[in-house]
Amino acid sequence: PAGPGGVAVPRAGLKKLALPPDYSGITFPEKPKLKFMDKVPAVPKVRREPRRLRDIRGPSHVATDFTQGQYGILALGGGYLHWGHFEMIRLTIGRSIDPKSMFAVWRVPAPYKSVTRKSLGHRMGGGKGPVDHYVTAVKSGRLVVEVGGRCEFEEVRPFLARVAQKLPFPAIPVSRESLREMRREEEEKRLGNQNPWTFERVVASNMLGMRKYLSPYDLRLKGRYWGKFFLKHRV
Amino acid sequence: AVAVKMAALGGGGTRWRRAWLPALQLLRRGSKAVTRHWKAMHFQRQKLLAVTEYLPPRPAVPPRCLPRHAAEGHEEDAQARVLRRQVEETLRSSRMVAVCQYNSMPDEDLVTLRHYLRKHGIRVQFVLNEVVRPVLAQSKYRNLLPLFVCRNILLVSPEARAREMLRVLKGVPQVNLLGACIDDTILSRQGVENLAQLPPLEVSQGQTVAALALLSSQTSSLLQRGPAHLTALLDEHIRRLRDAEGPTEPPPG
Repeated sequence: PAGPGGVAVPRAGLKKLALPPDYSGITFPEKPKLKFMDKVPAVPKVRREPRRLRDIRGPSHVATDFTQGQYGILALGGGYLHWGHFEMIRLTIGRSIDPKSMFAVWRVPAPYKSVTRKSLGHRMGGGKGPVDHYVTAVKSGRLVVEVGGRCEFEEVRPFLARVAQKLPFPAIPVSRESLREMRREEEEKRLGNQNPWTFERVVASNMLGMRKYLSPYDLRLKGRYWGKFFLKHRV
Repeated sequence: AVAVKMAALGGGGTRWRRAWLPALQLLRRGSKAVTRHWKAMHFQRQKLLAVTEYLPPRPAVPPRCLPRHAAEGHEEDAQARVLRRQVEETLRSSRMVAVCQYNSMPDEDLVTLRHYLRKHGIRVQFVLNEVVRPVLAQSKYRNLLPLFVCRNILLVSPEARAREMLRVLKGVPQVNLLGACIDDTILSRQGVENLAQLPPLEVSQGQTVAALALLSSQTSSLLQRGPAHLTALLDEHIRRLRDAEGPTEPPPG
């Protein structure tokens, strides 16, 4: 780069010596690896339960924040996790972390909800099918696994992204800071919206009789959720 | 809500005045609320979502047109602070500070150069521009700032030894003198050469004293010039008279 008088100015300055990261406040659990999750709960359900899909709909109110770890997988949509997903997560993360310096923790329970299937090729009718397998319901905004230890986000992100891609709902790897940043941006967007007409306002005051075409749940969901999907670009 | 309405349908003649009566078939038609596929939205709902979209704030002056303070207040490096303090100390304690351009030299030549300069009491210090520039800007050496552009070294010494320094630097082609600040006087390369050709301090002091004393020494001779002239004239006169009346007696008086 040319300096004053056309003389080339060398750009190498002082070396900035960064301090190594401080891992003092991290407590490791007893078992650093992910626990094995059963296919069927210890007491299998006798009574077949209805297909309550409302456990997929809407935002999650449990397991939305970090407890032990620093990084995790955040679900951005609703869905069911079955045993195959659990095994995939457990094995991939177990393969990628170093149990001496990192640990991982489940934030979803083992499959508890029974799902029935009728045998193939039969007509409708004849009662409800028998229990086929068990699943866990996950709502959007919930953490699935948490990873922590003496590691940086850049080390953890690749394999968490691979796991997140294989889940049945859209998911992303997050860290504490990135989650905080996401929430802050959402809040900023909500406050800085220049549109005087918001979904919330229209639904709450039933402008133009919109509630005829909307569900009563839209009062709570405020147009950000549609079925099991989470509309990230809304408000 | 639909269940309540359906229950109300069954009950007597009570009907909501504003409500519409959903056909029972409406619940059977189509899929449930939560589906695996993306359920098609009612057009009115689509319109509502289109109307209530997010509009980002648009300030009157776009932020890219406003002046941007690049890298404001980044935290200071401790090492930079130490180096800065060293440079300040050097500038304060030395009488002569010469700035030279430094091109890369072999190590042994550099050691030899340092040795020769040390013999005359001149210390060689390598400085980084990004450390020196703020120091100079705040001190009185503001006009030396244009010199600190490339790789440079400082030759500092508590006494001004311009001649020896120039002699040593003449033998080293990789180090070029750019300028110097000697006794709070900024000199260019030419100025340093002229300074080197000046006589040493004692000689010039003697010369100054002699020059000053010359005038005062001339004063006494100036004052005595009149009477001395008269005395010389009288002597001449007496001699001529003596020569003229040589055999005769000199006149009385």
